[in-house]
Amino acid sequence: MPWSEALRSPRSAVSLGGYGLAAALALSELAILTLALNPDVNGDYRAYYIDRTTTCLNRDAIGSYTPGRTISFRSDGARQTAAMRVCGWSGPVADGTHSLGESSRLRLALPPVRGGLLATLQVAAVIRPPQLTQRIVISANGVRLHQATVSGAAPMTVAFFIPQAALADTGRLELFFDYPDGIAQSPAASNIYNRSIKLISFRLDAL
Amino acid sequence: METYVALEGAARANIGIRIMIVTVVAVPLLFALSGLAIRYAAFASVSSDTGFAAYAQALCRWDCAWYVDISEKGYERFPIPNASNVGRWGFFPLYPLLVAAIRSVLPFPTILIATITSLALSYAACLVAWPLVGKNMRAYVLYCAFLLSGPFSFHFTTFLSEPLFVLLTSCVFLALKRSNYLAAGVASALLSATRLVGVLAVFATVIHMYEEYRAKGGSIVAFPRWLLGRPDLLVAIFISPAGLFAYMLFLHLTVGDGFAFLHIQRAFGRVAGNPLLFLWDGLSYHPNAGWLPTAPQWSAMTAIAGLALCLVLGARRQYGAALFCAVSIILPLTTNLASMVRYVVGLAPLAILVAVLLSASKLTFVAALALFLAACYFMTVAWIGGYLALV
Repeated sequence: MPWSEALRSPRSAVSLGGYGLAAALALSELAILTLALNPDVNGDYRAYYIDRTTTCLNRDAIGSYTPGRTISFRSDGARQTAAMRVCGWSGPVADGTHSLGESSRLRLALPPVRGGLLATLQVAAVIRPPQLTQRIVISANGVRLHQATVSGAAPMTVAFFIPQAALADTGRLELFFDYPDGIAQSPAASNIYNRSIKLISFRLDAL
Repeated sequence: METYVALEGAARANIGIRIMIVTVVAVPLLFALSGLAIRYAAFASVSSDTGFAAYAQALCRWDCAWYVDISEKGYERFPIPNASNVGRWGFFPLYPLLVAAIRSVLPFPTILIATITSLALSYAACLVAWPLVGKNMRAYVLYCAFLLSGPFSFHFTTFLSEPLFVLLTSCVFLALKRSNYLAAGVASALLSATRLVGVLAVFATVIHMYEEYRAKGGSIVAFPRWLLGRPDLLVAIFISPAGLFAYMLFLHLTVGDGFAFLHIQRAFGRVAGNPLLFLWDGLSYHPNAGWLPTAPQWSAMTAIAGLALCLVLGARRQYGAALFCAVSIILPLTTNLASMVRYVVGLAPLAILVAVLLSASKLTFVAALALFLAACYFMTVAWIGGYLALV
């Protein structure tokens, strides 16, 4: 039956309208589903929410720091460290800033440095017997520098050298802390809640 | 003489209908008032503040704060302000949008408007349930008591998605009962914009279509062809998830990710896993002291009870409702037990079924009614106190 004839009968016209509406709805939903399956997001969003390759959601934060100063990561240094703590931290509280998840980041804006830096950190391990130690893999601006093992409840000093080559020309130092031995809250808990270390203080000295 | 008797009979029937209508309207109103009084008494017993505004604020616990924020500020873009990784995208927009619309007309605080709106929606949900309980007055009274004066009535009278969800779920199943598929589709569309599991109502619709088709003698294999020949049914099916897709489009345009409502669950610590293991973990979480079950145990037991009630629905040949409720329980159970009690008690077909079952005898009816009213007080105290199982 030609379209013109079909439209002449009110019942057929309603029927055609119904098919048209159903098709429009189905196609719209298909189009939206296609859009949703191809998210238009940046790498940080994708890594944290979609691919789940990190527990540390990068944010646009940077704290200024002058070498030679010791910064407290306990409650008393909350204001000073706020901008440095990019992600993967909880607190600070009385016994330090707790790591949260499988990795943490600190980002510092430094004055020009020549000859590298010596980093000195006071760190305590989060332990749950029988696990009594925590490994920390530390990288600066993407260059792996040091692996430390902290044990027991008492704070330990972790010191490592940051060569000039690892310092960006921009005067920006990004420190990555990876925790291979993080303790999960429970067997079924998300890894975003893993606990590994408590960072108590941080210091950089020019060499 | 015969005419006189017939007229007298008609007049009596008319009066009977009027009394019934007045009762149907008055019962939920009575429970709305009694519930308000009981919950207020519970609030007054733990708070030094007084007044309706303080009461409404005190009952705004857990997810309520998210809905208040969405209603007042909308959804964030990415990156989320204040260096947070937890966005509001996981909370569906219809109810906060409705409260925002009312607030644009009435100059009152959001939580006050939301509390009154929730009461009104739950009241309406009761009215819609009257035909769904088979016009069984005892079951109706129990259902109204459960929603408005019951142990979980704070879920249905504060700013959570439950009041609208229960109302729209009841609308879907009432429309299906009357074979009004287009109305069911529109209600489902709204339901899918209220909570993610609302989209599952479309399966109940298709099952009802299939049952009706089979009842008319249609063969199984010819069902798809019959369905394709009915454009009205196709519209009803495709309009059902429209609310969800509209929200997905909004998220894609604002956040860049149409599935942001799912992906944000990572920031809430929800991880996909085996529902049976989550149930086992919950049941194994024994109390350190005393005999009272822990919050995970309550959650696991509620999920199991909910699934058992789904089986009862299935046994009573309410396949669509059984599937809708079962998947609405299992889907969140694939991440963990969080909010499980709220999810189960917010499934209208299950609450209606319980009301019908408990109204079977006068004794169970009276006992259940007394229990609901008494538990309302203690559970409200627990809710205000932040008891984890009620989240």
